[in-house]
Amino acid sequence: MRMSLLRIIVAASVAMSYTAHMSHAETLAIKGGTLHTMSKKGVLNNATILIKDGRITAVGQNITIPANAEIINAVGKIIIPGAMHSGSRLALSEISMTEDSNEHSAKKSPFSAAFDVQYGLRSNSVVVTDNRRQGLTHAITQPSGSDGIFYGSSALISLTGDAGMRLGKGPMIANPANGGNRNVSWAKIRLIFDQVKFYDQNRNRIKRGEWFNDFLLSGYNMDALVAVLKGRQKLVLMVNSEDDLRQAIALKRDYKLDVILSGATEAWKVARELAAAKIPVIINPLEDLPGSFGKLAATLRNAALLDAAGVIFAISPGGMAANHNAFHIYQMAGLAVAHGLSWERALEAITIRPAEIFGFDKSLGSVEKGKLANLVVWDGDPLEVTSNTSYVIVGGVNHPLISRRTLLRDRYLDLTKKPLAFQ
Amino acid sequence: MSMNILRQGIVALTGVSVAAVLAIGASHAQGETDKPDKDRLPLVVINKNPYPSTYEPFPSVTTMIENATILTGTGDQLENASILMAKGKIVAVGTDLQVPYGTKIIDGTGKWVTPGIIDVHSHLGVYASPGHRSMSDGNEMTSPVTADVWAEHSIWPQDPGFSRAIAGGVTTLQILPGSANLIGGRAVTVKNIPSRTAEGMKFPDAPYGLKMACGENPKRVYGKKGGPATRMANMAGYRKAWIKAKEYKAKWEAYNRGYKAGKDVKAPAQDLELDTLMGVLDGEILIHNHCYRADEMVSMINMAHEFNYRISTFHHAVESYKVADILAKEKICSAMWSDWWGFKLEAFDGIDENIPMVANAKACAIVHSDSADGIQRLNQEAAKAWSDGKKAGINFTKAEAFTWLTLNAAKALGIDHETGSLEKGKMADVVIWSGDPFSVYSLSEKVFIDGALMYDRSDPATDWQSDFELGQNEKGAHQ
Repeated sequence: MRMSLLRIIVAASVAMSYTAHMSHAETLAIKGGTLHTMSKKGVLNNATILIKDGRITAVGQNITIPANAEIINAVGKIIIPGAMHSGSRLALSEISMTEDSNEHSAKKSPFSAAFDVQYGLRSNSVVVTDNRRQGLTHAITQPSGSDGIFYGSSALISLTGDAGMRLGKGPMIANPANGGNRNVSWAKIRLIFDQVKFYDQNRNRIKRGEWFNDFLLSGYNMDALVAVLKGRQKLVLMVNSEDDLRQAIALKRDYKLDVILSGATEAWKVARELAAAKIPVIINPLEDLPGSFGKLAATLRNAALLDAAGVIFAISPGGMAANHNAFHIYQMAGLAVAHGLSWERALEAITIRPAEIFGFDKSLGSVEKGKLANLVVWDGDPLEVTSNTSYVIVGGVNHPLISRRTLLRDRYLDLTKKPLAFQ
Repeated sequence: MSMNILRQGIVALTGVSVAAVLAIGASHAQGETDKPDKDRLPLVVINKNPYPSTYEPFPSVTTMIENATILTGTGDQLENASILMAKGKIVAVGTDLQVPYGTKIIDGTGKWVTPGIIDVHSHLGVYASPGHRSMSDGNEMTSPVTADVWAEHSIWPQDPGFSRAIAGGVTTLQILPGSANLIGGRAVTVKNIPSRTAEGMKFPDAPYGLKMACGENPKRVYGKKGGPATRMANMAGYRKAWIKAKEYKAKWEAYNRGYKAGKDVKAPAQDLELDTLMGVLDGEILIHNHCYRADEMVSMINMAHEFNYRISTFHHAVESYKVADILAKEKICSAMWSDWWGFKLEAFDGIDENIPMVANAKACAIVHSDSADGIQRLNQEAAKAWSDGKKAGINFTKAEAFTWLTLNAAKALGIDHETGSLEKGKMADVVIWSGDPFSVYSLSEKVFIDGALMYDRSDPATDWQSDFELGQNEKGAHQ
């Protein structure tokens, strides 16, 4: 009885601290355990990681821990850089099928390429806190649709759970399949880039009305594509079939775009061409069903085959695992291992590789001095479904492993205790 | 209690009348001589099984898997144990088994052996791959009560999803209509085998299920199509249906009574919708109720009491943990995901410990998929739930947790006397795993259904390739 009362008090105080603003500890030190740095330093045993002001300040085996540091004892545990989701909907949707908690689509708006998720991020998302608890620390969060091929600009977010989560602009997202049949859509994409180029060169004359306007996109949507055309913003193309993958390779070649391919269900069939074109891909390792005519060759070995061919790839699940279950990224990496990928490559594919692919590897993706302190301490193999997180550090903050869902659990854990918290 | 006796009585009565009509039919064929009521019309009896199973087990050889770690499906784990299968049945499980001459021996060293996984919630075949509108046959979204439709009439046995599911160790599955309707139609239990017809897959003598749905889906689909638009109208919709079903049942009972008494009675007109609902009231068809919220589950329980039928299982059941004590008392199973949540408001309170918390309350807990992807890794879903439970202080053994995939699922489908555990005399539905099935790295290696080797990972040539995939992709290339 006394125990249950204590539990209520603890739960209540934890609930309060969970919603309260997190303050940075002076210095945080993670000591002991097996550290997978995902850097040139490789695996370090019994290392120490020092964290200050949200950044990693030292990594190594002979580090002196400052007297005032908060120490995390990671002995017997595994430490990795936090996992990164490469195409999420985090902070853009609390509950998928509701009217007022979804900010991820430009449909029924004038925007396509000009859509940018930067204004609609939810700082106190319970989806974000729950995924953080399960070891996801940062993500590309991206638009889900528009009335055209271009969906708009994504963002890189760190799962801080506060207003400072947005670290920067992410790639432009495009889905050729939303442009019509394949002949229509690839012609449209090419024409759009031709027109953006022309528009950019003749902007003033066009705006003065000296040009008959028969552009496929409006001026403000073309404005948003200039950076992509000039290679200053990456372009994620959502493509699955081997033929569309080839079209994407040709598009990159002809327009010199910085292309990332997402979905890439049949990528293993064009692996050599992808490797030669140095195009990275984002894949979902569970795909093995001919869900459409563009996915007939779906296989669980996609990751292993791409790796063997030297293609750079990241692993990222889709569907519900793009948001509420984004933490499934670990299980999906494990699944790729079960189907032939090496464990090390799988861990790379959810940490350093996506950071490199999206161009954020200077600040994320590995446990190295100077990088953002996003890392996770696991009680076992992080890719194993029975492992759990012990500590999750995001932006240098050791976040409690609590979410609305764990609070619900605690409230109903003992149904014999009367009255229940919510009788 | 007294109602149960009454129900048994009715079932027995029905049995008698079936025998009677068969006898009458036979005498008609012989030319009608000595029957005093020879001018009487024969008793009208509704054929309860007009699309009978034509399933026949595939050829098998007497097989023993030895020296393996065996999860029995009844909650036990045996080390260095063997299992002997012959003529489609499990002959023995344990150590030092007597092996008949000519038995095929499989070395199970380092491997784990479990009962075949049973998925109580699948839409394979009715929402087949490829996912085109022309293949979307799972939801009869034309009226909120469609108890007259049967999922088996929508099943496309060539769905490539079946071959992916067997690689996940799934030997039996229930295929249900979708959840758009208050009462969505009959579900059917099938063996996971390649077949030209749905009948060829049907699990012999398995009871039918009836799909019902609570909450958001019927509201959303019918809110602007004449209703129900609210949860209260959902309840009214079910209750009206049950009232009609009770009237129908009473008519048939009156007819049967009258006929037996020699009266000149006319049989009621057959009504497909009410046949199914009457089957529930007669205890012959099991209710499988899509229901997320705890409060709605209790409303459904009260309605079952009001009309005197039983609910087998709440499906999806993301809030079962809130009323696990009530579900235990009512002996209702919960079929759950390990960690899906938040995709709609009624799924917002889903938690990772739902399954172990339900099991911990001594209620029947089941891991289900509702997904052509999820069905391939139900062992991992159980593993996640098991581990999350442990972290919250709920300690089940792996052997106990495996019942969530097997025996409990079999109970929910009314087939637990035939499959769902590795026990002597049961169907030899058996999976050999490369290692601990609670690991993401373990894969099924061999899957037996009724003793026949239906899947062998080491031999891609034996993979099923559906007609749809033939000539379009390479056999076995998907794995």
